[in-house]
Amino acid sequence: MHPFDIKTVLFAKHAQHVVLIHFPIALFIIGVLFDFLAQWKKQPLLAAAAYYNLLVAAMATIPAVVTGILAWQWELEGQKLKGILLMHLVMGCLSTVLIWVVWFVHRRTRRKQQEVLPGYRLPIAAVAVVIVAVTGHLGGFLSGVNGPG
Amino acid sequence: MRRSVFIAGLAAGLALGVGLFGTSWNRSVAEAQQKASPTEVKVDNFSFGPVTLTVPVGTTVTWINRDDIPHTIVSTDDPKAFKSKVLDTDEKFSFAFSKPGTYPYFCSIHPKMTGKVIAQ
Repeated sequence: MHPFDIKTVLFAKHAQHVVLIHFPIALFIIGVLFDFLAQWKKQPLLAAAAYYNLLVAAMATIPAVVTGILAWQWELEGQKLKGILLMHLVMGCLSTVLIWVVWFVHRRTRRKQQEVLPGYRLPIAAVAVVIVAVTGHLGGFLSGVNGPG
Repeated sequence: MRRSVFIAGLAAGLALGVGLFGTSWNRSVAEAQQKASPTEVKVDNFSFGPVTLTVPVGTTVTWINRDDIPHTIVSTDDPKAFKSKVLDTDEKFSFAFSKPGTYPYFCSIHPKMTGKVIAQ
């Protein structure tokens, strides 16, 4: 086992995907929370906090997706997935797209220097949180967080 | 007449008894052999059971996934002696150990799950 071998770094004992995935999940959920609070309290500062959380969440999806796909390609040799693994992959991709969409809506509003964020972003964000939660649940089930040791 | 019927009945009863005893004896011998050299590894609750399996050379070992989630059976050796596809619940993977040696393996989805087959 070589300490600088990329496969060793990514998959030694626990796959890095399992670690990295927590960043976009946490940042996105907090970002959406700020977004709802901004809408409720009419506070631009909260909207700004939501924007930056969503930005970092969107960026954090990149290493999470890359390590997840590498785990599939290297550890499972890219074999055709089915069942929970396939569901996790599909939901993960959908979550990533939705996180970027929610961030993009904020980004577009800021670029146009509009003060009011479009209301349709909130149901999209709410659906995205549910899909992210389901993806995380499936990932936790697959990784065996409920298993022994 | 009555005597011959009695003798025929006795012979039939004896034959039946011997047959039943034979079947039962054969079954218990087969069960004992199976217990003496199991060739199946059960994958359940994020572990392999038995963790270490010793088999005679030439034996085909079968892993069966009894867990709710997918697992793989991958040899730790380089080059890999064997590697299964992803096994869903109740799916099986078999490998014949034609050479003597110790074959450590793990689940590539859950690397903490490890086991060993000793072929001797």
